[in-house]
Amino acid sequence: MTKAIPKIGSRRKVRIGLRRNARFSLRKSARRITKGVIHVQASFNNTIITVTDPQGRVVFWSSAGTCGFKSSRKASPYAGQRTAVDAIRTVGLQRAEVMVKGAGSGRDAALRAIAKSGVRLSCIRDVTPMPHNGCRPPKKRRL
Amino acid sequence: MFTCRPLVSPPLPRRLAVASPLAPARPPPSSASSLRVVRCMAKERRVRMVAKQIQRELADMLTRDPVLQRAVLPEAALGADQYLSSLTTIADVELSNDLQVCKVYVSVFGDERGKKVAIAGLKAKTKYVRSQIGKRMKLRLTPEIRFIEDESMERGSRILAILDKLKEEREQQEGNEEEEDGEGANLSEEEEGDWDADEPDEEDIIYVK
Repeated sequence: MTKAIPKIGSRRKVRIGLRRNARFSLRKSARRITKGVIHVQASFNNTIITVTDPQGRVVFWSSAGTCGFKSSRKASPYAGQRTAVDAIRTVGLQRAEVMVKGAGSGRDAALRAIAKSGVRLSCIRDVTPMPHNGCRPPKKRRL
Repeated sequence: MFTCRPLVSPPLPRRLAVASPLAPARPPPSSASSLRVVRCMAKERRVRMVAKQIQRELADMLTRDPVLQRAVLPEAALGADQYLSSLTTIADVELSNDLQVCKVYVSVFGDERGKKVAIAGLKAKTKYVRSQIGKRMKLRLTPEIRFIEDESMERGSRILAILDKLKEEREQQEGNEEEEDGEGANLSEEEEGDWDADEPDEEDIIYVK
């Protein structure tokens, strides 16, 4: 029998995670699941990794900022790697599907960390949003 | 003798002035030489800004440009849009001081075949990439693009894996020592150990690009 998991509980955990002092206790309280989806969002200035269950409910998230990096160091590949290791160790995944969004430098490092950590990857999907001739892009940057 | 020669021939007074130890003759050539210094380098900040922007443009092209996508992932032409056999990332961009040569370090996550295909495809599309950058960026000179494979990611991850093994071995030894004491002390000390172990690891691990 599968219990229904309320979303309010997960939201509370996410809010608790915003405080630095409570971070260690959050590590304990994160749900442990065997199978899930790892979302990697790698922008040019930060890397955010969210672990969800197969239905898409958030179990745990981590970012370069919560791992202690600031300003330009958040964009480094090492920050991406530490973020990935932090997320996976806390949840204890065994099988996962990876969805990658964005083109930052933490993307590759996070993927390598996920692959090395022992999680079995069923597939890797690139879900970066792409317009099929949508609105006009912003103006060019002048250098 | 000296007064007669400069009057007779004009080129002679320059030589005599240079050869003679007279003080007022020296400053003019030094000032002329200082005025003639030619700068052929951009400032450091501009070099960094342009390199960063080229990196952004290239990463965006890898994501959105169908020609580059098919060059890097031949399966994309067959309709396998999202399921990737390799993932290509622009790891770093080095730009020369005169903004004319651009080295692009490409890191490919995947197996050996995927890596070879991706890098060969990128090198084949070098001229296309240069023309696209010329259109997207407003520069006086469009830099020459050179794609170089970047293996530092793999080496870095290997080293970190080794460090993790050493850390686990040390934790196992500490666990063996703690088991002799008792279970209650075990749990709290393990948590404290984990907390303490994180900080020295951060200090020890030095990531070198």
